[in-house]
Amino acid sequence: MSTLTLREAPERLDLAGVTPAAVAGLSEAEAARLVIGTGRRGLTLGDCFALHLDGSEELRIVGATDRLDRVGAGLAAGRIVVEGDVGQRLGAGMTGGIVTVSGSAGPFAGTAAKGGTIRIAGHAGESAGGALHGADCGLDGATLVIGGMAGERLGDRMRAGLIVAKGAGDHAGSRMIAGTIVAEAVGDHPGYGMRRGTLVAARHGALLPTFVETGRQDLVVLRLLAKSLEGVAPEAAALLRAPQRRYSGDLATLGKGELFTPVG
Amino acid sequence: MTAWIDGQAVERDAAVAAAASLLAGAHAPVIAGLCAEAAAVQAAFDLARAVGASLDPAAGAALYADLGALASGGAMTTTAAETRGRADLVLALGAAPWSSGLLAELAADAPGRGRAAGQPRALLALGGPGDGGIQHVSYPAGEAGLPAAIGLLRGLVAGRVAGPHPFADLAARLRAALYGVVMYDPAEIGALGAEMLNGLVKDLNEVTRCFALPLGDAHQGRAVAQVSAWSTGQGPRVGFGRGYPEHDPWRFDAARQAASGEIDAALWLASLPAPLPSWARTVPTVALLGAPKGDEARVVIGVGVPGEAFGAALWHPRRAALAWHAADPVPSGAPPAAAILADLRARISAASPAPQPERSASC
Repeated sequence: MSTLTLREAPERLDLAGVTPAAVAGLSEAEAARLVIGTGRRGLTLGDCFALHLDGSEELRIVGATDRLDRVGAGLAAGRIVVEGDVGQRLGAGMTGGIVTVSGSAGPFAGTAAKGGTIRIAGHAGESAGGALHGADCGLDGATLVIGGMAGERLGDRMRAGLIVAKGAGDHAGSRMIAGTIVAEAVGDHPGYGMRRGTLVAARHGALLPTFVETGRQDLVVLRLLAKSLEGVAPEAAALLRAPQRRYSGDLATLGKGELFTPVG
Repeated sequence: MTAWIDGQAVERDAAVAAAASLLAGAHAPVIAGLCAEAAAVQAAFDLARAVGASLDPAAGAALYADLGALASGGAMTTTAAETRGRADLVLALGAAPWSSGLLAELAADAPGRGRAAGQPRALLALGGPGDGGIQHVSYPAGEAGLPAAIGLLRGLVAGRVAGPHPFADLAARLRAALYGVVMYDPAEIGALGAEMLNGLVKDLNEVTRCFALPLGDAHQGRAVAQVSAWSTGQGPRVGFGRGYPEHDPWRFDAARQAASGEIDAALWLASLPAPLPSWARTVPTVALLGAPKGDEARVVIGVGVPGEAFGAALWHPRRAALAWHAADPVPSGAPPAAAILADLRARISAASPAPQPERSASC
């Protein structure tokens, strides 16, 4: 197992492309010269981290802080294990592999990620699984599991994939194009501007006037979703087994999205 | 005196030298405010490029509420002058339009050209305080707030929400108008609300003509967006730390950077009035101010007020364009901020003459 141990982060560091496959072919001296700084100093991997590389498919980042941006960005295979927190855009654009974070993540975790799995044990900032400024979409096929609370606009403009969170702030599922979000609780106005997609929440804040109730549902598709969630997030799977009340929206836009919440 | 260091009056040259030293020695400087004439904003971008600084206008939050919506889905907008000439229906969203002064003018006349020429003009208000002196029809936004109300109106206009509703009449009026205009302040309705509003306007253009009229911010934000666009091809929150312009509205939010200790020096540019951020007293800061007191920052340099001390290109809200603002008949002679910024760049470049080659811009 290769290990990067953070010594210091005097500025935000950009770890995009620092993946197990990218460093597997490098000597420690070569990897140490990779530029990861975002300021005028041109800081390198070796300036900020103690390196131990053995060419394995697992890369461990130890002592991580919220100044580490784009950890796991572009990952296609293998595993990145982060001990600590990370900054913005965790796993951005990844297509495969697994990223786990023991602490919390900054904004835009999983943005434009097409494949693979991202697990955050702690909290996530705003727009987890959401789109960057002007970007076509947020999460785009990957799986994002957040053990704690997500900020506002969870899954904003996501196009495909699955997000599971313990809770989320206001406007969860805003501008959703498609995909699935499951959370125990979401804040006010979930699904603002959503076109398609599925939101499931045991509790929610105020609903928009452009969401209409379409009755109690006992859908096979929700049982199938529950089954698929068993291995990823068992507590979320349990949430889906209860009879659900369904709301359709956002009728301000296409209106083909849906919000399920357990009856009772 | 027009220059100060640590609150003590000094010669301007000494203050510029101190400012150059402060910025040259910084690892991560920020140039913020940018509430100034186009030439000074351009000089600020040039200085940022030379010292590897990031930029953030005082108008940042308000500006990005609109830029985000524009970047996501586009917009169909018009100007105040076109509204006055052509609109037979004006919908004022929220409170901000009522303090713009434009509604009183719109109430006083009627469209004189275009397809609605000769028609009366209807003024409608959604979620605003209204004005007893201006004849208008008012619709309350309701408890859910303005962004939710905009969404509901959009659903009604497109026929996706049906049945009796207080907004049904408003939706019918918008569809029936020959040239409708929706006035709004992006800062008031937020990025999601602005995007929904642009969607409403686009939906209406399926059946008639309708345009959005965003009210500009008070801090030259629209002008900064233009200077940034022609200088970097991107929005104004860019950073030159890596030698090329990186656009990142979250990372280069100056208040966020100050709070997280990511910046070690700052230059605050406000040749026109703008509220000084609290971080100007904690981060070592150079302030170029049109109305200085001297104790606002570590180094304070007084600069001329554009459109008074000298003629300058400033944002003209009514024309929605950069426009020349002539100097007072007897200008004060205070130096333009652009000259101070160019002086700073020259001093810093002379001290470290190896510029980084510019690579292609980030997306």
